[in-house]
Amino acid sequence: MTDSTSTSIMAPSGARRLTLGWEASWKTSNPEIAFAGDSQGRMRLSLSEHISNYGRIPTGFTYSLVSDSLRVANLTGRGGAKFPFYKKLAAVYEADRKKGCYVVANGAESEPLSIKDSLLLKTNPHLVIDGLVMVAEVLGAKGVYIYVKDKEAHSAVNSALRERRERGFTEAKVSVIDAPATYVAGQETSVIRRIEKGPAVPKFSIDRVAVSGVKGQPTLLSNVETFAHLGLILRFGADWYRSGRSGFDSGSRLVSVSGAVDRPGLYEVSSGVAIGDILREAKAHSVRALLVGGYFGGWLNVRDENDLRVAYDDFTLGDKKLSIGAGILGVLSKETCPVVEAASIVDYLAEQSAGQCGPCINGLPEISTAFARIALSSNIDRGISELKAVIPLVERRGGCQHPDGVIAHVRSTVAAFGDEIKLHKAGKCSVASSNHHSMLLPKKAQGNLAAASGR
Amino acid sequence: MKIVIDPTRCQGHGTCAALLAEYIEMDKWHFPILNRNQLSESHLEAAKKAVQLCPELAIKIIED
Ligand code: SF4
Ligand code: SF4
Repeated sequence: MTDSTSTSIMAPSGARRLTLGWEASWKTSNPEIAFAGDSQGRMRLSLSEHISNYGRIPTGFTYSLVSDSLRVANLTGRGGAKFPFYKKLAAVYEADRKKGCYVVANGAESEPLSIKDSLLLKTNPHLVIDGLVMVAEVLGAKGVYIYVKDKEAHSAVNSALRERRERGFTEAKVSVIDAPATYVAGQETSVIRRIEKGPAVPKFSIDRVAVSGVKGQPTLLSNVETFAHLGLILRFGADWYRSGRSGFDSGSRLVSVSGAVDRPGLYEVSSGVAIGDILREAKAHSVRALLVGGYFGGWLNVRDENDLRVAYDDFTLGDKKLSIGAGILGVLSKETCPVVEAASIVDYLAEQSAGQCGPCINGLPEISTAFARIALSSNIDRGISELKAVIPLVERRGGCQHPDGVIAHVRSTVAAFGDEIKLHKAGKCSVASSNHHSMLLPKKAQGNLAAASGR
Repeated sequence: MKIVIDPTRCQGHGTCAALLAEYIEMDKWHFPILNRNQLSESHLEAAKKAVQLCPELAIKIIED
């Protein structure tokens, strides 16, 4: 794997690491935040552009070199689990790989508010592929897959793979697999089943995917963004990745910003920037609340500017029982009641059950109904006592994390908006309008919450 | 040894709860709740029977 276009390459700095070269004009007034575009189509970086941006694709890695770099870099998986990537790699490396192992980049992006994975694949597929094939070579993987959300991402990855073949790259063969547009399609075991040519619904497993994944063999599965960072770390080193910062994951990250903002879209931000600074670049207005991490994430109650001075890293967010999760910031304005919004999301999630497990099929609609009673103030006490009774019957009883994610959303709402729920109890709501149009649900999923509360 | 039930397979027939009342009760939707999963030697036979008789092959006994 060689290329003749070796010029002296500068390591990227500031907030433009993954998005370097997407478009020169996408700077913002803050060097730690870059606007990376919206969900509209963007040009794909060709292999030559990719190499002139980031330099040649390094080769000849050993497991210990990759593992050490990842450990020093402190890279964590970018799908939401916050798990150190070197530990995941070690679990696969140390598992029984006699019958082969597999490497999978998950770009299903089933969180409706996320656009990062698809946009990354559409614009910068080579960086993801670099990280993927490097780690596949170190593990001697038998199969390498990229699981993609849409046609555009699929064809961008295919074109990138074709360019690499035409350049004569001798590297692991990568297959592209389509994810269906369902919420559970991105769950680890759904991805595995889909690769095995089954339906993209979760499967119950006692073992971790690292030990028993594709065809029952050890499988390294992580979000596509994780592999893109790996492609950079193996080029520029762990010290560059940390850029003098200590602590948790200190690299940049992609953040999808949506809701009550004038400039929605994807941002690449340096570790630790204040949430308020990101929202300023996105031109958020009259912020009432923030959904952090996605539908499986949690809520931040925004009473004044100070609530937005939180650093966007998992250390700081952890103190507030929040997490970066899938890199989503959903902004609610003062025109929307956050509890109603949360209940609408929970109702959507209840409908997204894969319909396999009794407690999930039966329990999620009950949770949604009880929660809607609280949100719509139709019968708050009844709603609360129903929630208390049903949650223990559902929690940790599903075949996957879906029901627990729904419960986490309910708990986070109750913890964040005690003030609002009190108002509802008094027959009021901080929002004057009774016209509850959801700001953070996909259009086709604008459900009828009123119906849920009356079930 | 431990009992595990695969919730994606289980259809809630309840045969298991009848055989392993010390471990399994049925919830209000008629799906099994595993109250404890560490299997004691004296219940091994009953557990094996539950594994055999579960119509959905949803129960397993695993070494821990
Ligand atoms: S818990 Fe729900 S979403 Fe998960 S596998 Fe079971 S039915 Fe499907
Ligand atoms: S016997 Fe099998 S299918 Fe029936 S409740 Fe028990 S585990 Fe479920």
